[in-house]
Amino acid sequence: MANEETPKTEATSDLESGADPKAPAAVEAAKVAPEHDATAPNDKLEPTRQDEGPDSDPAPGADDDHGHGHGADDHDHGLAHTMPVWMLVAVLGALMVLTVLTVSVTRFDLGSEGNLVVAMVIATVKAGLVVTFFMHLYWDKKFHLVLFLTAVLFVILFLSMSLTDRGEYQTNIDWYQSVSTANTK
Amino acid sequence: MTQSTSESVTKPKAGGHGTPPQAGHDEHADHGHGHGDGPHLAHHFDTYQQQFDAGKLGIWLFLLTEVLFFSGLFCAYTVYRAQHPEVFVYAHYFLNTNMGALNTCVLLISSLTAAWAVRNAQLAQKGLLIFNIVITIACAFTFMTVKYFEYAHKFHDGLLPGPNFHPTEQVWELDSFKQKHPEAAEFAEMLSKRAEARAKGTAAEKEAPLITQRPTEEQIEPLMKAGLIGPNSEEPMGISRPRNAHVFFSIYFFMTGLHGIHVIGGIIVWAWLLKRAVRGEFGPKYFGPIDYAALYWHLVDLVWIYLFPLLYLIH
Repeated sequence: MANEETPKTEATSDLESGADPKAPAAVEAAKVAPEHDATAPNDKLEPTRQDEGPDSDPAPGADDDHGHGHGADDHDHGLAHTMPVWMLVAVLGALMVLTVLTVSVTRFDLGSEGNLVVAMVIATVKAGLVVTFFMHLYWDKKFHLVLFLTAVLFVILFLSMSLTDRGEYQTNIDWYQSVSTANTK
Repeated sequence: MTQSTSESVTKPKAGGHGTPPQAGHDEHADHGHGHGDGPHLAHHFDTYQQQFDAGKLGIWLFLLTEVLFFSGLFCAYTVYRAQHPEVFVYAHYFLNTNMGALNTCVLLISSLTAAWAVRNAQLAQKGLLIFNIVITIACAFTFMTVKYFEYAHKFHDGLLPGPNFHPTEQVWELDSFKQKHPEAAEFAEMLSKRAEARAKGTAAEKEAPLITQRPTEEQIEPLMKAGLIGPNSEEPMGISRPRNAHVFFSIYFFMTGLHGIHVIGGIIVWAWLLKRAVRGEFGPKYFGPIDYAALYWHLVDLVWIYLFPLLYLIH
């Protein structure tokens, strides 16, 4: 799903934010850069900054007017990927459609298991949309994806392990219940 | 889209193509007083990039613990539902699907505005940033208000966990049950009248209408599935609710309650960020707090995405 979006993203974000889908790569490059550029004389950096023009004013906490005072900070833009608005709205639309779908599908009887499976599949698709787009994981560092998937993996382990021995004491419970009902009678 | 073009004017490029980061300048700066680089660069970071990445790693680690935190309750839910599906079928008739769906939509919209707020912070769109944070907070309050009405309704109907579980209505008297299984609702009514008469004594029992016909599948099956009759019922010989039905409401209140606490926490965080956004603290180099809060907010949304079908859409 994420792959389908890639070409569009590249086009839009290049226009809008400059942080392309390969942002992590760009970030890596930016990190390597200082090793070489650190020794370079400062005036070499000037043209770059001017290229960015007045728009590039990044000064945090300052209005555009003040910004230029902090010239030295001007170049540190793409800290992270910027989501285009159309993509955010499209994701919301998809999430809404899936919500309607998951509610309306309860009208059909697919067997108790079937309905649960369908509901969980839809929920997982929705979760995937949120994580991929709203949470920027597609463009984020792969390490954050690994972190998230680790959490998911452990949840799956946790639930499945618990499910496998859930009936372990059922015979004891049944025995207790039969004894206690016999005693009350 | 028109808006995007205007944004592209305010912020045409980024991505660090050949733009050397901070380090070059820090060579000349006194490292002990990194504040000279900008009001929001903490002195223990060399660059804004480093500061942002450190914060982002931190929030992702936090979200990881949050996922595991919630998974304890999801585990309780899974095990209990696998073991006693009838309790869940019984209890779900008491939940209002429309309210759950409404809350789902409200949270999804707030997720959009949170994600949008990150973009606004990155592009230093102060007005839009404030607007989106306000909408996010408003959605959070809407969510909590709907939750309040749901909780109040359950308190009123005695649908409380543990020893406080004294439902004032029988499940077959509920509209949600009647609409779905009209025959079964009628049959249950008849069964309960007979049980009442039997309790009163032999005279009343003789007057009560006899069940002469063999009950049909439509009459029996929904009652069996909800544990009203049969081996899982509190009264195996009559009609009642399933044993330990209160456990569902323990799970319900713990799951939605913990989620609600997270929503309240989110409101506090967003209110704090709103104050800072009004002060104009956020921009292309310093939007971390907005990004981290949004990630947290999306996780809260994520939990609800699973809670909604699990609690409200039981079949």
